Order: sequence, then C-alpha cells, then structure tokens
Amino acid sequence: MRFHLIDRIDAWDAGRTISARKLTSWLEDFWRDEGDGPQMPEPLILEALCQAGTWLIIATTEVRQRAALLSVDGVSFHEPVRPGDVLVLEGAVESMGEETAVLSGTASVNGRIVMKAEAVMCALLPAEELDGPEDTRRMLERLTRVSVGGGRR
Amino acid sequence: MTAFDEVLDVVPGKRAVAVRNVPGTLTVFATHFPRFPVMPGVLILDDIVRAARLAAPDVPKGSRWVPAEARRVRYRHFAEPGDRLEISVTVIEATESAVTFKAAVGVDGRDITTVRQLRLEKREVAA
Repeated sequence: MRFHLIDRIDAWDAGRTISARKLTSWLEDFWRDEGDGPQMPEPLILEALCQAGTWLIIATTEVRQRAALLSVDGVSFHEPVRPGDVLVLEGAVESMGEETAVLSGTASVNGRIVMKAEAVMCALLPAEELDGPEDTRRMLERLTRVSVGGGRR
Repeated sequence: MTAFDEVLDVVPGKRAVAVRNVPGTLTVFATHFPRFPVMPGVLILDDIVRAARLAAPDVPKGSRWVPAEARRVRYRHFAEPGDRLEISVTVIEATESAVTFKAAVGVDGRDITTVRQLRLEKREVAA
C-alpha cells in the first residue's frame, strides 16, 4: 500500500497541535474481514495519528525535520473503522526538543473516538534523509491548501 | 494457513512464534521512505497482534479476539529489507473475555521491538 495516511491538514499550531483528516475508501487495499465485515487494521489508525504528528513536525520545522516512531506508552482501540469512514485526527505535542518529540491524540469518526494514543515518542530526523525536501514541501502545500470545491483546474 | 511466512511454534493459550520476512519488493517502501526503506513500526505491531491471535485460547465459532489496548511499545532498531523478523508472543493472563500478552520481535537474536502488554478482547461476530 501507499503509506500516506493523511489527506488534509485542517489546522495546525506550530509545535503544539494539529487537526487532520484521512478519508477511507472501498478502493483502498488494506481492508480486512475477519467475520464481521471489512475493517481497517487497528495499527493503521495509530499510523494515521503518527503521520499527522509527523506533518506537524515537518510544518513546524519548515521541512527541516520529520519523525520516526520510537515508542508508544499506550494505545487503545474502541470501535472499528469501516470503508467510507472519515478519520478525524487530533494530535497535541506534550514535549518537543531537538532530537525527540512526544505527542498524544485521538482518531474519531463522526465525533466518536475510535482510537486514543498516549505519549507517542518520535525521533526527529533530518527530513532530507527520508525524502526529497522538494517533494515533501509540495505535499505539505497540497495538504494545507484551502479547498476549492472540487478543486479548480 | 496464516498470514506469516513461517510459523515456528503455536501453543494456544500459552505462546506463538512466527516469522515475517522483509523483502525489498514490498510496495510500502516506495513511500516509507523514498530515501530510506524501513518497515513501518505499526506494521510490526500488526504482526504482533496476528501472532497474539495464534497464541490466544481457542474461541467458540461466532466470536474472535480483537486488539483493545497496547502498552509500552518500544521500537529499538529499524526493520529493513533483508531482515527476517521473529515474532514471539506469550500469554500473561487469560480470562473468558480478555487475554493479555507480552511480545518481542527479534532479528538475528536482537530485539528490535518489544511490547510490555497487549490486550485482546473477545467480540461476538455475526455467524
């Protein structure tokens, strides 16, 4: 799968909070059915929140750093995520230094919390070691752009 | 049949050990990351959950174990193409409705990921 689990950044406050969205679709290939209908593997819900956190780091550092997962103190899963659900991700930074950042947050669908994560610690790595800064900058612009209904051509 | 590349040991209600190969052909490496291919940590957690299902006590038809909570998940080293992950999951406590495990993932005998506590809960599914 394409490991890109954020479709839009709705709001961000440098070094503090981020609110982002991941849309899900039947067209995606990660759905798993273990007897009660297709659902998103739970760890991918956690990943969506981590990626929201990464984009906050990227935006805060002006594409100088991005994040790699080091540890999670606690994560709980509350309800299944089904095809078509819109995941709303809310992340808040608890601490951020030069080398690591700690973030907590939730994922919800229609206002109901489906996942909660406490103290997700990330290593802050030089962004250009992971991806081309130009590509990352372009993606950040796309994620934060003001939506024009349907997208102007 | 499991989703693993090899299952080394399964004792339902006690433990399971399974292997996940990490070949460079996995599509996830195109985006994670373009300049530095590493296995996403959450996919390792996903494999730990799968192994925990193998280690969990058998459930009657019509129910299954679903992940409810994980605590103290630590990623100590990256999993990279060419690595062979050995996923070991041990039952700590089992009740009728929930099972708690600890887990470790090793590459060549070195722990790259550990989970202090993973809890699966029994959920009814439509028959």
